[in-house]
Amino acid sequence: MTLEIKDLTGGYGHVNVLNKETFTVEDGQVVGMIGLNGAGKSTTIKHIIGLLKQKSGQILIDGISLEDNVEEYRKKIAYVPELPILYPELTLKEHIDLTIMAYDLDHDKTWENANKLLETFRLSNKLDWFPQNFSKGMKQKVMIVSAFMTDARLFIIDEPFTGLDPLSVNDLLNVIDEKKKIGCSVLMSTHVLATVQDHADKFVLINNGQVRADGTLDQLKEMFDMKDANLDDIYIKMSKEGK
Amino acid sequence: MRKLYSERLRRHQQEQFKYLRLVFNDNFMLAFIVLMGAVGFGYSNFLGSFTNQQWWGKPVFIIITFLSFQAGRIATLLEDPDSTFLLAKENDFYEYFKRALSYSIFLPILAIALISFLLSPFAFRMADINVTGIVIFAVSAVISKMSLLNVELFNLYNEENTTKLLFELILLASIVIATYSSSLIYLVVSIVLLVISVMITRPNITSKRLQWQKAISLENQRIFKLKRFYNLFTDVPGVSSKIKRRKWLDFLYSSMKLKQSNTYFYIFVRGFVRNNEYIGLFIRLTIIQGILLAFIDNFYISLIVEILFIYLLGFQLKPYFKEIMQNMLQRLYPISKDQKIRDFIKLSTIILSIQWLISAIAIFVQFSFTMNSIVISLAGLVVLIFVNYFYMPRQLKKI
Repeated sequence: MTLEIKDLTGGYGHVNVLNKETFTVEDGQVVGMIGLNGAGKSTTIKHIIGLLKQKSGQILIDGISLEDNVEEYRKKIAYVPELPILYPELTLKEHIDLTIMAYDLDHDKTWENANKLLETFRLSNKLDWFPQNFSKGMKQKVMIVSAFMTDARLFIIDEPFTGLDPLSVNDLLNVIDEKKKIGCSVLMSTHVLATVQDHADKFVLINNGQVRADGTLDQLKEMFDMKDANLDDIYIKMSKEGK
Repeated sequence: MRKLYSERLRRHQQEQFKYLRLVFNDNFMLAFIVLMGAVGFGYSNFLGSFTNQQWWGKPVFIIITFLSFQAGRIATLLEDPDSTFLLAKENDFYEYFKRALSYSIFLPILAIALISFLLSPFAFRMADINVTGIVIFAVSAVISKMSLLNVELFNLYNEENTTKLLFELILLASIVIATYSSSLIYLVVSIVLLVISVMITRPNITSKRLQWQKAISLENQRIFKLKRFYNLFTDVPGVSSKIKRRKWLDFLYSSMKLKQSNTYFYIFVRGFVRNNEYIGLFIRLTIIQGILLAFIDNFYISLIVEILFIYLLGFQLKPYFKEIMQNMLQRLYPISKDQKIRDFIKLSTIILSIQWLISAIAIFVQFSFTMNSIVISLAGLVVLIFVNYFYMPRQLKKI
């Protein structure tokens, strides 16, 4: 699965948040998207999943765009939003059934996946609960389970590490690794640099709606001319450039 | 403190008017007028069927008079931050609450006047009470409400709540005695109670400590009830409808096939059954319609009730579609909008059909198997088809 973003310009209403943004996520790659608050990370994600419509530029998944084939496009991606969104009138079990129906998945096989994930995230004894009984972190885990049990090839995760306990963060990273092994790609935005530094293959640094730099950690070190730096140092250097 | 209450009252009323405008929309007014007509017609028929006093006339009069001053609580308009910011002003609340009392009595006066007016023909004929009597009863009811409001204020300063019950019992007893002897007895008792209530409350306000937690939570409850009422007609921020599991109703949808084309039907059906707001709407409208149809023996009024209620339920289900569509997940699912609309119409067809079936039974109870009942129930069926196949698809496309 490859995601290509070419010269993406867009935003809310008349305000352009993104300005000719270009980057790609290759087959089996985990890409970390990094930037200050308001740099355009979430806006990029909203364009990819089709909640916002771009003004110009292209977003292609395996060569097809949202305009070419909505349903085909949407089946390829699974999304975990920054703030969990659940149906207040459905139980956890019903959310999983619903996702299976919506994505036209194989019932038994998907439930097998789901049960494994529910076990991992310590939710299997809460199948009959309503969202209002869940804490914020638990809701987020429900979103993660419903995303990762699907056959999607691209996983888009917005701020996955905030609100999760350390154990769950670790579990999520393992789940991501497993998906990577079977050739899926992951794009995640985050501020938790130490975690993403060890688990992403590539980083996209976004500043003022543009890709300031992208590449592996080594490539970034070279670009910013900081030999012994970690991601944190590079990030801070980039942030100060603008001033 | 005086200014504080006026300022809050202004804000409070502004908000009420905002919602009332939405409550009294065209559809509601139409239904309301027809309903009033139907009820009025039934009432006058009912009165006409009796020529002399009935044994149950006085008891009914007593109950209605007693109930006429039960509605309405003291509107203190206290807010959560008050328990932090106004603590220092605690002993100055006399002026504040005085204004609160005079505002709180306003709506009950209107209610009591209206109820007494509507009750008077009944009282003349069935309970042997004359015009002076009715007026005295109405005035006494207003005085009773004033004393009860004072007691409510008294309760904000005290732990116990039995004083109000005691007052209610004395008032009820005096209404009973007055109905069977002289209305003046009720007047005297209510005045005495008012004096007592003012005497016990005033020293409390100037010296005793206000039970902040209790007072604020009571006011929040009062406002919440108001908002929940408005929420029946429009979206009120901060009021979410209650969701109940209702496991015993699982059989309704347990046989549904888990396939893609059923995705939204799956949500709609479960949400409808579990969300108190919509199932409540359905039950209320169906029951009211059933009762009206079973008792009204006029062909035209029954026809209007049948048509109107089916349309009303269909019309008011529409926001439910909107509510589900506001969930962002729905935009990500690979399911077309047409499919969602089809699924919603499936639900609304089922719901309106149940309503239609129940109303048809009520019609046949009243008109038995005649041309009238067939025409009325057929008209209902036409509305059902109109709502589900013409009105709904067009309206939902716009959402």
